[in-house]
Amino acid sequence: MNANSPPEYAVRMENITKRFPGVVANQQVALRVQAGAFHAVIGENGAGKSTLLNILYGRYQPDSGRVFLHGQEVTQSLHSPADAIRNGVGMVSQHYALIPALTVLENVLLGAEPTGFGGVLKCRAAITRIHELANQLQIASLDVNQRADTLSIAAQQKVEILKALYRGANILLLDEPTATLAPQEAESLFTLLRNLVEKGTTVLFVTHKLREVMAHSHAVTVLRAGQNAGDFITAETNEAELLHCMIGARLNSAGQPLIPFGDVTETEGYAGDTWAATRPAVSGSPLLQIEGVTVRNSRRVEVVKSATLELMHGEIVGVAGVDGSGQRDLAEAILGLQTVSIGKIFLEGSEITDDTVAQRYQKGVAYIPEDRHRSGMILDFSVTENYTLGHHREANWGGGTLIHPPIMTAHTVAMIQQYDVRISELGALIPARSLSGGNQQKIVVARAIQSAPKLLVACQPTRGLDVEAARFVYRTLEQARREGLGILLFSLDLEEILQLSDRVAVMFNGKIVTVLPTAQATPEEIGAWMTGAKAGGTEA
Amino acid sequence: MKLSLNSQSNLFRAVLSILAGFIIVGVLLKMSGYSPLQCYQALAEGATGIRSGKPINLSDRGFYIGSWQGNFSPYTFAQTLATITPLLFCGLAIALGLRAGLFNIGALGQMTLGAMTAAFVGAIGANGSLKPVAGSLPHWAHVPLTLLAGAVAGGLWGALAGYLKAKRGVHEVLSTIMLNYIAINLANYLAMHNLKDPNPSNMAAQTGLIAKSAWLTPIVAQSSLTVGLLLAVAAAVGVAFLLWRTALGYEIRAVGLGAEAARTAGIPVSKILIKTMAMSGALAGVAGALEVMGIHHRFVQGTAGDYGFDGIAVALLGGSHPFGIVLSASFFGALGNGANFMQIQTDVPKTIAVVVQAIIVLLVGLRFRRAESKKPLVLAEEGWKDG
Repeated sequence: MNANSPPEYAVRMENITKRFPGVVANQQVALRVQAGAFHAVIGENGAGKSTLLNILYGRYQPDSGRVFLHGQEVTQSLHSPADAIRNGVGMVSQHYALIPALTVLENVLLGAEPTGFGGVLKCRAAITRIHELANQLQIASLDVNQRADTLSIAAQQKVEILKALYRGANILLLDEPTATLAPQEAESLFTLLRNLVEKGTTVLFVTHKLREVMAHSHAVTVLRAGQNAGDFITAETNEAELLHCMIGARLNSAGQPLIPFGDVTETEGYAGDTWAATRPAVSGSPLLQIEGVTVRNSRRVEVVKSATLELMHGEIVGVAGVDGSGQRDLAEAILGLQTVSIGKIFLEGSEITDDTVAQRYQKGVAYIPEDRHRSGMILDFSVTENYTLGHHREANWGGGTLIHPPIMTAHTVAMIQQYDVRISELGALIPARSLSGGNQQKIVVARAIQSAPKLLVACQPTRGLDVEAARFVYRTLEQARREGLGILLFSLDLEEILQLSDRVAVMFNGKIVTVLPTAQATPEEIGAWMTGAKAGGTEA
Repeated sequence: MKLSLNSQSNLFRAVLSILAGFIIVGVLLKMSGYSPLQCYQALAEGATGIRSGKPINLSDRGFYIGSWQGNFSPYTFAQTLATITPLLFCGLAIALGLRAGLFNIGALGQMTLGAMTAAFVGAIGANGSLKPVAGSLPHWAHVPLTLLAGAVAGGLWGALAGYLKAKRGVHEVLSTIMLNYIAINLANYLAMHNLKDPNPSNMAAQTGLIAKSAWLTPIVAQSSLTVGLLLAVAAAVGVAFLLWRTALGYEIRAVGLGAEAARTAGIPVSKILIKTMAMSGALAGVAGALEVMGIHHRFVQGTAGDYGFDGIAVALLGGSHPFGIVLSASFFGALGNGANFMQIQTDVPKTIAVVVQAIIVLLVGLRFRRAESKKPLVLAEEGWKDG
């Protein structure tokens, strides 16, 4: 803790404990944020960061503990986000809450409409105020009459910030603000936030990206497994120390790790030295060929535009891009979940463009969907039923026209051991809902890999997973690749793509704008392709 | 097949709802100046056919038709069992839909068309005269043929709603309500015109009698109890087998609990929706055919009664589990038949049974809502895990 300056805290949370059924999200957590500071809260997934922020924003009520804002205790009056806003706290959540069909102006005003006599909306004053704020934020180019659904993700986020400031927030909370941004966009966001801090706003953001913390924050609070793991002044610490603190290396009283780790890259897993670099060169016949594929969504808009891509046996091709650049639609087109309007898809030379989803699975395609809860699992199905989902008509899985639950369960029990899924003895029969995200993902991955596929389409396979579980997924994928599996890896995590892939394809605005060998790709260059700063390219 | 902890607690909750229903109605009865105990005793007698020691009123005679066996009236008990039959079929029909995430409000229409088609096919060989004739088909062929006809008619009607849902995005609640009107009015039209009972003295909307070869004989003399009850129980076992021992049933449940995940896994969701609605409609259609073959021996306006809607109560109370539905159909059947007897014995209108039923459904629904309203908490938990 910083003991030098007088403790003028914008936010002081003491002994916060919050339980959810079966888990303690926060246990006796303390958080002290100096007024006007750029403060980061870091921790692994499930460390309780979001919960803490949501308590501060009034979304959750703590089971015990006290909350002070600018020295005033507000524990008893903080029952809803409305209370938090009244106290000058604004929040930008992970998922933005703009109403697509409303304009920027309407979205900003929503819930805080300035009204005159008889409830008539006083727009003029509001617009002036919004322009002032936009100027301050250096986003004056924003058109307040634009519909929210026409904005990019990054612009939507800025509108969210505008919304919070319009409501008079002097403490701004951001939950994983850069999770869905390209590197350049993230940079621009931090410039904006630094600006705000200089003008006196207190900014508190949650992240698990250490680089951001080191580059931008003044102070850091580390949470681990729902408890305080350390407080640091950014200038007085380094990435390695924070990482050790985050993932549970024991620290002595001086803040030094008791068990020395190697270098940071070792513990992080695969930074620097990529798997791809150690692999033999990929050769042989193409496994998957996508030729000029165009996909239209339900509103007849082209979401994938004439995409062409080739994947060899035993190769991993990463598909990078800003969220919503058409990656999901391309993945679903390969699986047959979306119709290909123009173009063809070949698997080992034979066309599969018009096959059903089930036929593609039979031909050796496997899929790890992006949205685990919606597409990957049926949460109210048992672990067994989830594991056998899609294989329930295959005899060697205990399926067929008549299914054989005992055989299915036996397979599942074997998988639970092989993949180290942490559940009780009865595990195979409990609903998947009761498993943690990491264990759920293990089932989804196991289901895809265990069918001995030729091609795996993996979308965000480690999203929302902690370091341990993510490494397990990487190991599993790498193992399968060694056995000849070709993997098309869709990910928003550029680091993940660079570490795993042999080649990187970048999507921008529905097009594959370039395909680069990973050895020649830098994050900066890929970032430039992702945001459209570089155009043209080899495949477009 | 699958009695998990979950279904045990379902049973416990169902019993609680039933008790609460009786207590609330008991208070209502008391407030209206009746003796709840007497009423419920009469209800129990009517439901079981077991008479308590007191002498029989003359007016009771109607309900004690047939031979006595000590204090037990087989006829009364048989009528209870007969009431259970269509409830069980309709409850299964609705539960099967619910398993696929479909709320089939159309059991009424499907049952009506099943009944009308059964009356048509059952009339093969009948000469349209006043007296039933033996018919030209042998009994062993005519009975299954007529049942099958009812199942096919109900099934097609259900499949139509399934098709509209799967291919055109029409919500099944909307389409089945509309299809109910069409089915009922179509059947009534046929009963008043093309297939009208030729008896010149007949003023009612009804068809002529079906051939005797398609009749189901009562198991207990003069009662409505037929082999249909055994078919209903077999159907319950069949639905349970379908849901938990076949790939199709697995797919139905997958679609019901997570359509998007099912689609992603390669399950053809729209085909499953249509097939499920077809099977659901077929179950209701058989219920209609049984009413015609076992009770009226013709299609009569209103043959389907309220069974199509009571089936919703049966399915909900039974937790959409075939074996739970056997219990809940038995309960509602007993309640309905017992109420008839209670009305005669105590002057309490038999519609009080409907009040009991409504309260139970509301309580079951209330629990459902409570389970739903817990969802934000679950979401919160997810938010926490992914944060």
